[in-house]
Amino acid sequence: MPEWYFRFSLGQRLLHGLLMTSFLGLATTGLPLHFNQSPWAVWISHTMGGFGVMGFFHRVFAVLLTTCFTIHVVHLLYRLFVKRELHILWGPDSLVPQPRDAVEMLQHIRYFLGLGAQPRFGRFTYWEKFDYFAVFWGMLIIGASGYVLWFHTFFSRFVPGWVFNITNLIHGEEALLAVGFIFTIHFFNSHLRPEKFPMDLVIFTGRVRDDELEHERPDEWERLRAEGRLGTIKADAPPRWLKNFGRIVGTTAVAIGLTLFALIMYAVFGYGS
Amino acid sequence: MPSLEWGAPTWPGAMAVAAFLVLVGGVVLVRAQGKGPADFAMPKAETSPGQSAKGKAAKAETPKNEDCLACHADKDLERGGKRGGSLFVDAQVLDGSRHAGLDCASCHTTATAPHDEKLPRVDCAGCHADKAEVLKTGVHGSPAAARAGDRATTCANCHGTHDVRDPKTLGTERCAACHQAQVGLYRESIHGKARARGDTEAATCTSCHGPAHTLQVKTDPQAPTYHLNLPRTCATCHGDPEIARRHNIEVGDVYKLYMDSIHGRAITRSGLLVAANCSDCHGAHDIKAKDQPTSRVFRTNVPATCGTCHAGVLREYRQSVHGQAVAAGSTIAPICIDCHSAHEIRRVEAEGWKLEIVRECGTCHKESLRTYRDTFHGKVTALGFTRVARCSDCHGAHDIYPTRDVRSTVNVANRVTTCAKCHPASNENFAKYDPHAEPENVDRSPLLHYTWKFMVWLLVGTFSFFGVHTVLWGVRSLVGRNGGRHAPPPAEGSDQEGQDA
Repeated sequence: MPEWYFRFSLGQRLLHGLLMTSFLGLATTGLPLHFNQSPWAVWISHTMGGFGVMGFFHRVFAVLLTTCFTIHVVHLLYRLFVKRELHILWGPDSLVPQPRDAVEMLQHIRYFLGLGAQPRFGRFTYWEKFDYFAVFWGMLIIGASGYVLWFHTFFSRFVPGWVFNITNLIHGEEALLAVGFIFTIHFFNSHLRPEKFPMDLVIFTGRVRDDELEHERPDEWERLRAEGRLGTIKADAPPRWLKNFGRIVGTTAVAIGLTLFALIMYAVFGYGS
Repeated sequence: MPSLEWGAPTWPGAMAVAAFLVLVGGVVLVRAQGKGPADFAMPKAETSPGQSAKGKAAKAETPKNEDCLACHADKDLERGGKRGGSLFVDAQVLDGSRHAGLDCASCHTTATAPHDEKLPRVDCAGCHADKAEVLKTGVHGSPAAARAGDRATTCANCHGTHDVRDPKTLGTERCAACHQAQVGLYRESIHGKARARGDTEAATCTSCHGPAHTLQVKTDPQAPTYHLNLPRTCATCHGDPEIARRHNIEVGDVYKLYMDSIHGRAITRSGLLVAANCSDCHGAHDIKAKDQPTSRVFRTNVPATCGTCHAGVLREYRQSVHGQAVAAGSTIAPICIDCHSAHEIRRVEAEGWKLEIVRECGTCHKESLRTYRDTFHGKVTALGFTRVARCSDCHGAHDIYPTRDVRSTVNVANRVTTCAKCHPASNENFAKYDPHAEPENVDRSPLLHYTWKFMVWLLVGTFSFFGVHTVLWGVRSLVGRNGGRHAPPPAEGSDQEGQDA
């Protein structure tokens, strides 16, 4: 019988769910405005009930994502300053990029080219750290510029109007980067690559199997064993309902994401060229 | 030289007066005495041969044509009295006419040969009673027309006397006898000229006004030229795309377009007499092709034509940058119809029009449209929603001035007010927003330009790196699965996800 270990807590999983939902909502209600010259953009905006409705829901999802972001940051601060968990700032439990990430990235690329073995990854790989900070940075930039645009008359008391031209541009381009990245790179890295296809359910179940942990993150496996911490994260096998829930939600999210990505590709390359 | 005096009332004349009195009462007594029984439509009784014979004591039998021509073949035979006029009758003309074969007495029923007194006017109704009845229903048979002196409508005025022709051959020159000014204009018009060229489809008087006998004045709601009826009348020809094609008329579907327009609906649905119908813009008798400088719809004449109703708009427009350009001879500066169209004019509140007009401005102001599309306002209108600012919301519509003009709504001095129309909290800072931002243009807004460049490179860089990364990984993983050199060792005692199955 395989053993199961926790990788993500329930709170982290719920937060990812909130992030995923609001992100897809923001993308669906925002992309039509960005690609307004495309027939599908016109169709979506009108089907949704018009530009006013689309803007309303864009703001609803924005508030959701802001909530998600705030919870995460407040929790981080709590861990840092109240629980004194300074190990989240540096070391194997930290998401902060460290020299070993650069090394592992180069080793990984060498492996891609057939010139070496797979690196011995730890708890967080370099692409996972990139994912995390890309989303973190994205939420800050897109969120801040979004709120400036939302409350433009308020902000116009402090900044000249041309700032809105810049925030408008940043909001759109950065969002395009975020959407494009999540719907292709993140989907591939975490779910669609042959080892994980069609989906890595760990973000829904929170549990990872022993052999999976051992082979994918040998360094983390060794560390947990050496420190005798495997017992503290031991989990029961994921219940069937949870796995099915994950499959349904995950497949839906990936389907929406890939559809939106296809529409972007159509707007950028397939239209008017 | 024989001459016939127009003397005191004769017996038949006196009897006719009496009959007249009985018929129409004393109101027209004086006129009746002064002029005698002139109306051909009078009851037959007054000039019946029987009565005449009684009065004349049957001086002779009904004269033969030779008897009449004995005198009337004389080319110098003239009527006496103040009016004068020739009494010569050319027998050949009569023989060549529609009435060839009829005796003189067929029409001049009371004539004797010779006769001293003036013969009563020929009563055509003796034969053409149906026509006489019909005539009474039109303006030409109305009492007013009968009182028009020399121009009084008589059968002869249109059909002639001895030279009476087939009615089908009667041309505009007959109408011109009385309606000289209108026919004069008509002859210079596109219809008149086409007719003159031999185009038998081109409209003539009766095409629009209806048959002469039943013709109604345009103030009569039954008239085809009545304000509310005119579009349908014009449509008898211009509602047919085939006719438009045959005559190279640009707008083939003009009637349908017009009827759906704000003017057409005002006519048909509301019965508005002040709504423009065809002739309000194109003229009536003087319709000319739009490429004729004297045409009301010639390009530079259009504003004035529209301005006959839309005077306030015309005044604003004349002052505006577009109006001034047109006045200075520009042929590309917009006139009314460039934005509003000619026959498809819609309410300016109509959603479709509000979006089309943005594109219309952009046909000349290409750069402005492009940069507008790059901003929030332009993106929302591109999706098909009109709640945000369109060209005219900031620049005005008929009162557009150059930006440097202090009257311009987008002049620096007026921008806060203009923005405040939609953004009530607008202020000096707010008005520094660039509604035509152009990230590609470094001179217009350097900061925006460099931000744009940074963002572009950020996207290109990120997607390039991870694109390559992803492709390499994907290929390597597939190779690894097929037993590549560095494939990870197979997971022991596991069938992947099958634990719950």
